[in-house]
Formats: sequence, C-alpha cells, structure tokens
Amino acid sequence: MMRFTSLLSVFLLSLCLLAFPAKANDRLEEATALVAEMAQGVKQAVEADYENDEAKVKVIDMLIESYFDFDGITRFSAGRYWRAASEAEKAEYAMLFRTVLTGLAVRQFDQLKGLNYTITDTSAKGEKLALVTGIMSDPTGANADAVVSWRVGTLKGKPVRIIDVEIENISMLVTQQQENTAIIRKNGGQFSSLIDAMRKAANEL
Amino acid sequence: MKRFLSSFSSLFMLSAMLFLGACSSLPVDERSDARDPFEETNRQIFAFNMAADSYVLEPVADGYRTVAPNSVQKAVANHIEWAGLPSTAVNSTLQGKFENAALAVLHFAINGLTLGLADLTEDDETPLREDFGQTLAAANVPEGAYIEVPLLGGHTARSLTGRVVDIFLNPLSVLEAGQAGESLRQAQLPVGAVSFRAQNFDAVNEVKYNSLDPYARARSVYYQQRRGLLEDRVAGQISEDALDANDDAFDSFFGE
Repeated sequence: MMRFTSLLSVFLLSLCLLAFPAKANDRLEEATALVAEMAQGVKQAVEADYENDEAKVKVIDMLIESYFDFDGITRFSAGRYWRAASEAEKAEYAMLFRTVLTGLAVRQFDQLKGLNYTITDTSAKGEKLALVTGIMSDPTGANADAVVSWRVGTLKGKPVRIIDVEIENISMLVTQQQENTAIIRKNGGQFSSLIDAMRKAANEL
Repeated sequence: MKRFLSSFSSLFMLSAMLFLGACSSLPVDERSDARDPFEETNRQIFAFNMAADSYVLEPVADGYRTVAPNSVQKAVANHIEWAGLPSTAVNSTLQGKFENAALAVLHFAINGLTLGLADLTEDDETPLREDFGQTLAAANVPEGAYIEVPLLGGHTARSLTGRVVDIFLNPLSVLEAGQAGESLRQAQLPVGAVSFRAQNFDAVNEVKYNSLDPYARARSVYYQQRRGLLEDRVAGQISEDALDANDDAFDSFFGE
C-alpha cells in the first residue's frame, strides 16, 4: 500500500511538472497568435480606403479594443501618480490620452503602408509577460529593417493583451510614462498639470 | 592652427562638461528625473539645439534624403560606420570581446579599400558597436549626470567622456592622410549628423513636434537606447530569460 502511494505521488508530481510548462507554452502561443493577428489586422486596415479621418478612428478604436489592454496602458503611463489622482481626474486623463494616441495613429496611418511584419521569436518574461519579437521590413528598400517587439500580458485567468511596443529597444510606454512623470514632477506633483498638457495636445491634433 | 582645428570638437565637448560642472544642481525633489541635476541648464541648451535643428539640420537632412539617391545615402552611412570601427576594435578588446574586435578589424581592413563607402565583406555578421563609454561602464565607472551638449545632444557624463576619447581613435586622426584626409575627417561630424538626422527623420520629428515635453521624451529615449547598448556587455553573463529594468517595472505593475 505504502509503495502504491509513493508511486502515485511520483506520478502526480510528474504530471504537474509536465503540465506547468505546457500551460506556459500555451500562453506564449496565444501571445504569438495575438500579435500575428493584430499585425494582419493593421496591414489590412492601412491598405484600405477611407472616406475621412473619422472612419480611420473607428478602425483604430476597434484594433485597440481587440488587441490592447488599454486600461492597463493608461494606468501605467501615469506612473505612480495614478493612485493619487481623483476618480474624475483619472476619467478625464483616460479620455484625453486615448484621443491623443488615436489622433497620432491616424496621422501616421499612411507611413505603415506596404510594410511587412515577420515574427521571429517569442520569449517569456517572468510568469506574467511575454515578448513577441519580429522584423518590420520595407519591400521597396526605402526604409531599413527595424526590430519591433510587443510586450504581451499573459497573466493567468485574463485574456492575453498587448501592453507595449518596443522599437529597437525603446519602449513606447516607458517613454510615455517618463515624459508624463516629468511633467507632473515639474509642476509640484499636480496630476492636473498632466491633464492640462494632454488637453493642449488633443486640441492641437 | 591645423592641430588646433583638428582638436576643436574635443575641446568643445570638454568645455561643455566644465561649463555644466560649474552650474548649480537642482535639489532632487525639483528634478523631473533624479539623474538630471542640471535640468534647468540642460533645457536651455536643448531649446538651442532644437532651434539649430529647425534652422539648419532638419532642412538640410530633408533635402539630402530627397535629392541624394539611396545608394549615396547608404555609402555615406557606411563611411561613418567604418570610421567608428577602430574605436569598436579597441573598446571590444578592452572589454574582452575579442571576437567582436577581430570582426571590426577585418571589416575595417577590407572596407578601407573604399574608405568605408562600400561594404565589401558580404558578411551577415557585422561587428557590434562598442564605444569608450561602454568600456567605462564595463569597468563599473558610474554613469554620472545627464548632460545636454550644444549641437551634440544628451549624454551621460560617462558616455560624453567616452565620446571625447573615441575621437582620437578615428582612423583619419591617426593616419597621416594629408590635407584631403584632414578635410574629410573634419567633415565627418557634420556629415554624420546630417546622415543620422536623415535616417531618423520621422522618429526625431515625432519627438520634436508630437511630444508633450520634447526634452523629457528625448532624455527617456536616450537612456533606453544607451541601456540597450550596455546590456550587450552583460549579455553573456545573464540568463536568456532574465528580466531587464523595463520588465521589472511591467512585471510589478501588470502583475497586480
């Protein structure tokens, strides 16, 4: 009986050890598939014809909802000052941040035309994140190849979603956070100063 | 006189360092980034640099990328890269990266037949850039304060010191290349600036025109780009799935 229990324990332990990497690999595969699907979606979106910028905004909104953790991105972009902000400030910042990012994306939409993205590697970054790396290339040769990596949240129990893009080692979200934090710190730690700056940027779009 | 002119750029950077050393530093709680004690002076120099960019560099780079054929742009970029290979070879050796040093020497010798304008090596493996700032980092020299240098942009004190040293490793500084060589060497800095600006035209304009705070954004980009170069020096010592500074920040934030 004792021997049977020991054997059973070993068998169950082996199952657990085998199951964990399998789960982790599943999440990496999900992250890779998400980025591949997003890249395909963006390629189709930039190649399509639009009557006006509003139509582009709709498509960009759809891409954001489908592939990005925009709430997480918004919170991260405000750094440690997010927690000290009031609910009204958080809501206003979130709305302005999205408006500005969408506006900039509309402006740069055409620059992505004709570019290809090929995934070359996916690696786990701890248990909660994955980095999907690939090469952005221009078949015309006018632009040099660029390494573009997507940081994807793979937290257990939550859908995989993109939280950041890194171009040649430069994280867009970290850059945004450091810029935002600099504005708040230069203004005595007032979160409202960031909202003012974001509102000005939204008005200038 | 000629020697004075040839040393102008290094003296210029040295004087900038001394000038900033004399500036009063801001208390930590008044800085927008703890690594930037001379922020007020740096922002003024950044404004000057942006004005210089608007009046000179941006229009020249725009014209250059419009008029010069891709092959010419590529040749100029190749030459600038080639001129940095002796520095890469020396600094790779100092850091114990002998394979990279050998690769740099090989590329320098072969492509030297065309002064680096053409890449004759047909080699997929290109040497990784190594500068004296990276060598100082490998020797655990602290990176020091962030310093905005007129016309050259942001640097840490360590990388700026490295840049001064690297100037003396320029092949045309060492070789007796005559008047033509001297002129070519003196043209490298402005031509390199135009070439770099043209290659990164949209990215630089993105920082310049679409940022809430262009200075803070440029500083952030500089630190991340520099960190990427420095991480290479420890690549052989860390496991492949090790977390870098960004990963730590994301991990603690998105894992909540």
